Amino acid sequence: MANFFPRWTNFLPLKIILCLLILGGTVTAGVWYYFTPKYTRVGYEPNQPQAFPHDVHVAQLGMDCRYCHSFVEVGAHSNVPNTQTCNNCHREGGVLWDSPKLATVRQSVETGQPIPWVQVHKTPDYVYFNHSVHVNRGVSCFSCHGPVNEMKVVSHQKPLSMSFCLDCHRAPENHLRPQSEVFNLAWHPPVDGSGNAIESQREIGLKLKNAWRVNPPQNCSGCHR
Amino acid sequence: MKRIFHHPPAPKSERRYWQSPAELADTPDFREALAREFPAGAAELEMDGVTRRSFLKLMGASTALAGLGLAACRRPEHKLLPFVKSSEWTIPGKNLFYASSMPRAGGAIPLIVTTVDGRPIKVDANPEHPASNGGSDMQVQASVLALYDPDRAKNFIRDKEQVQAEIFEKHLEKLLARHEGDGGAGMALLLEESNSPTRERLRKKVLQRFPQAMWAVYEPGGLSGAGAAFGPGVQESYNVANADVILTLDCDLLGTEDASGRYQRDFARRRGVKQDGGGKMNRLYAVENHYTITGGMADHRLRLPASHVGEFTRQLAAELGASAGGLEAAAGVTFPEGWIREAAKDLKAAGGRALVAVGPRQPAAVQRAALAINQALGGLGQTLEGQQSDVEPAATITDLAWQMGVKQVKTLFILGGNPAYNAPADLGWVKLQEAVPETIRLGLNYDETTSVSRWHVPAAHYLESWGDGLAADGSYLAMQPMILPLYDGWSENDLLSMLAGDGHPHGPARVQETFQERSGASGAAFDEAWNELLRTGFQKDSAGAPRALSLSGGRDEGAGNRKPLRPASADAVEVVLVPDYKLGYGSWANVSWLQETPDPVTKMTWDNVALMNQAMADRYEIEAPNGVLGGATAGDIIRIEVAGRSIEMPVLISPGHADHSITVTLGYGRRMIGSVASGSGVDAFPLLLSDSPYILTGAKITKTGGSYPLGVTQDHWSMEGRALIREGSKAKYDEHPEFAQKMWMDAENPDAGMESLYTNPPLDGAEQWGMTVDLNTCTGCNACVVACQAENNIPVVGKTQVMGGREMHWIRLDRYYATREGHEDDPEMISQPMMCQHCENAPCETVCPVNATVHNNEGLNVMAYNRCIGTRYCANNCPFKVRRFNFFDYNSRPIEQMQMGPIKAQGLYFGPLTEKGSPDTVKMQKNPNVTVRMRGVMEKCTFCLQRIEEAKITAKVRAGSSPDIRIPVDVFQVACQQACPSEAIVFGDLMNLDSKVSKLKGDARNYRLLDYLNVKARVSYLARIRNLNPAMPGAHEPAAYMEEEHGSPESHHGPNEPISQPAVEVGA
Repeated sequence: MANFFPRWTNFLPLKIILCLLILGGTVTAGVWYYFTPKYTRVGYEPNQPQAFPHDVHVAQLGMDCRYCHSFVEVGAHSNVPNTQTCNNCHREGGVLWDSPKLATVRQSVETGQPIPWVQVHKTPDYVYFNHSVHVNRGVSCFSCHGPVNEMKVVSHQKPLSMSFCLDCHRAPENHLRPQSEVFNLAWHPPVDGSGNAIESQREIGLKLKNAWRVNPPQNCSGCHR
Repeated sequence: MKRIFHHPPAPKSERRYWQSPAELADTPDFREALAREFPAGAAELEMDGVTRRSFLKLMGASTALAGLGLAACRRPEHKLLPFVKSSEWTIPGKNLFYASSMPRAGGAIPLIVTTVDGRPIKVDANPEHPASNGGSDMQVQASVLALYDPDRAKNFIRDKEQVQAEIFEKHLEKLLARHEGDGGAGMALLLEESNSPTRERLRKKVLQRFPQAMWAVYEPGGLSGAGAAFGPGVQESYNVANADVILTLDCDLLGTEDASGRYQRDFARRRGVKQDGGGKMNRLYAVENHYTITGGMADHRLRLPASHVGEFTRQLAAELGASAGGLEAAAGVTFPEGWIREAAKDLKAAGGRALVAVGPRQPAAVQRAALAINQALGGLGQTLEGQQSDVEPAATITDLAWQMGVKQVKTLFILGGNPAYNAPADLGWVKLQEAVPETIRLGLNYDETTSVSRWHVPAAHYLESWGDGLAADGSYLAMQPMILPLYDGWSENDLLSMLAGDGHPHGPARVQETFQERSGASGAAFDEAWNELLRTGFQKDSAGAPRALSLSGGRDEGAGNRKPLRPASADAVEVVLVPDYKLGYGSWANVSWLQETPDPVTKMTWDNVALMNQAMADRYEIEAPNGVLGGATAGDIIRIEVAGRSIEMPVLISPGHADHSITVTLGYGRRMIGSVASGSGVDAFPLLLSDSPYILTGAKITKTGGSYPLGVTQDHWSMEGRALIREGSKAKYDEHPEFAQKMWMDAENPDAGMESLYTNPPLDGAEQWGMTVDLNTCTGCNACVVACQAENNIPVVGKTQVMGGREMHWIRLDRYYATREGHEDDPEMISQPMMCQHCENAPCETVCPVNATVHNNEGLNVMAYNRCIGTRYCANNCPFKVRRFNFFDYNSRPIEQMQMGPIKAQGLYFGPLTEKGSPDTVKMQKNPNVTVRMRGVMEKCTFCLQRIEEAKITAKVRAGSSPDIRIPVDVFQVACQQACPSEAIVFGDLMNLDSKVSKLKGDARNYRLLDYLNVKARVSYLARIRNLNPAMPGAHEPAAYMEEEHGSPESHHGPNEPISQPAVEVGA
């Protein structure tokens, strides 16, 4: 009887196994990546055209978030400041005007061209996040952006994925704080002399949630339009 | 086992509701088409020349390429570009509203313009203005797209070549200096009609500088009214609010009249069956040759060739003892026995609160006779009002043409308008204009007139210009720019001010001067008044007092000047030229939203047709579109010859059209304007003559043998004659106010035996949203359709796709004809807006495999677009057929591609291989608060979710650290509601008992559609009430399907019987 199978089929099983391994590996790697914070951009820390050390401005100088992000309480977007805002202090004859670190600001003032800031935090196009409703109802910048007050360069700290949003929308008490502390990124639930919590975040949150009737939407329509 | 649901059969009734002749005839083709989810072709891939195999190859190759290129592996870096300097009032991403106005021939329209980040995105009427309730119309809504028209004129042109603006300015200065020497001899200006006080002021200055110059005004359609019948400068207008009985004579009072928006609102407010103010429900008689939306709203309608209206008016005048002026009796014209007598009796009985409205098409003598009738009825000053206009009379285009004919015109300025397209054909305008040595044209687009002008100056859109105007009630309106001119265009006032020798100052200076004259304020008081003007959009209490009217004061120019019309008959048919509902006289032709909106009556898109009735079509053996769906809908082409001129165009049979009469809409067949309008329709202006313009008699019709495909949507998503439309007479309503709730399947207790198989999430939201649509006031005018399109980023799909049933409008305006047996040629008409009904037991939700369409706790049926995988099961299971599927990424395709259709090589079917991307300017219009949906995604009415969320967010922001998060009652409106001029659509919170909608839900006329399916729709309709005059010939009770009249139909199921039963086993 002649050889029914040609010679090249000898290695066929091996090839098939190899292909399956590669395929399996790719799928595993893909799924793995999808489930890591890397996928959600946590840790993303792009270089900005103009260095802006938040730690210096906020932690050292005590500036309020709203000095630059001026429309966060009224608009859906928390705006990036105009060059004019920088120019208020860093003006000719003012603070560090001649510093080489401020070259981009000076250039923007001269040419009238905006500074092309790189966006760090971004929700997908089909998500309609509204800053004003969060900061007016006891959700601090800290909850989504992390300790920006301590950052030299702003980086992406929280996943900002749908499950991240829903965690808070289902249990807002874990994040609510008194309205006066929303922009105080260094705030912690009060502690007594020995460092024990007088009132936990959860207790404060529940109290506020009931007093303000905080009832975040958990429907698709809350964020997707 | 498959369960097939059996709808109860349509009950036997004398009265039938139908949408097209094919449905009436119940042809087999129609039955087959009805059984489909989408019209034939909509859900299929039909390609010529490309086999399925090669298509798969192409797709495979492009997928592989996309993979190899790894183009999408890294997230792109996004840049944030803030302003360098702060801009007043601007908050990034937040809507900013400005008051402005839109110029229009019959009076400017006060507006509220929504801008976001400096881009105007939505235009609505200004609800603060006393002559407005915020209701607008299609053109107002679509005017924002005209601003972003990619085909707009962008450059100065000299002899068909682009030049710099400075070159034109220098040339103009030289030209004007020359004319200053000769006092403007040989100089002429042709403008559009306008009542802008600033323009009028500049006109005086221009004519002061050039006293010999000719100032001519041309507006196709002419002015309504008898032309100064009440004395020089007196413009009459109707006060519909005061009229108890209205008779329209060839007049589309609610549709195409200059002030139709206001008439519609006043009419609707008097249409309420429960009058709060003690007034009574008005009654409308319509006499017209073709179905208009006015005819659709009429309680009694008489179809009559337009050339018979003169005789009708004469006999009516005789009946009422009014003088009919110079009207002579026409031989061989008869009317239904008793019609005139009974209508006259009713008009007289109204005791001065009666109105006879006559259309601008009718000869001046007929118009004068109609005004005399109003005088005899005692309506002057009550239903017919007058305003003294400050606009001085101008020369006509005929005067100008004569001057040009004798070579007296050396320099011609054409500001706006488009005479080369729409001037009466017998003037021979193109030849005349070519003979003028110097023609300077200011226009928004490069159009027919540009092609015969030496210079073209790009015009600024009204949203880019400073200006002013007078509203229809005479009040002073501001027009302010929302955006700098996109293409450095000049406004009409800019150019006039150059002519007046003022230079062309940018900014508001010219308008400020006018306002200073009007307000009399100066200094700080002026600044305050000016800011107030800009803030509110109008000057308070500036409407002039109505002027007393008397026919004796005016000159009688009627009878002699126009030839009496020859009555239409079998051997001499008449052709009536009417403005298109969407494109007007053609200036809106390049606005794709309007092109694609189905006509309110004919449901035609993208083309115009010759309308005639069935009897006439039979006589000429014309094969009408037979209602077959899916690309096969076509009309035979006819040649229309009048007075030696002819055009060829397709026919559409229009039920209810007068016999021996053909109606042709103007505004189509543009030869040059842009990619949207190219190839759309037939130009009917060649038939237009300057003496008896819009009604042409003695026409000859011949069939050419050709046929033409029509994008007519009247059969799309038909609903098989179930009791969707409910109506009754006023008498029936007085007797049984809740008759509409007891019709057909709802005759028995509707809630008995109704349980849903599915458990729905609880409806526990603090607000529960709902809507009512009042069929009694809805005219079917389409303002809501275009408003929805503007608000919700709904794409345009092009004619080919419409023919395949793929139009994307979220609101479908169903237009039904209602007939009794034996009266099929003389139907009544009723419109019903149909959008997502937001069923509480939504059939679409239970079939979605990926939970892309779900319910929220406020009763909204929501779509999560990013979840949708495009199975289209939901559309299949929707009993209302209101879901729309995006087949071809219409939002990111240039319009040319859609126009080409599937067959051409660059068409839509080659998806990834063809050019993508829509022009940047079109993107600028998009509402940033609504997702721009991509291909493969189902979409439908969301109840303007973005506005609901905005209201909730505003309430919460205001609440801050307090529990008061309640949304104030009726604090916002949805887009269709906002646009509706007759206030037929009401939306709001059903939980708040003070809201308008919850009050209306308790109305006796309130009924839900297909309630027997237990879908529990959140949208409900209020039944139409016809205020019949029982003495009129042909008056009959419209309430069909009545329980007590037809008994409990045996075919109905008892309350305890399951209404769904296993019927046919398919497979096993």
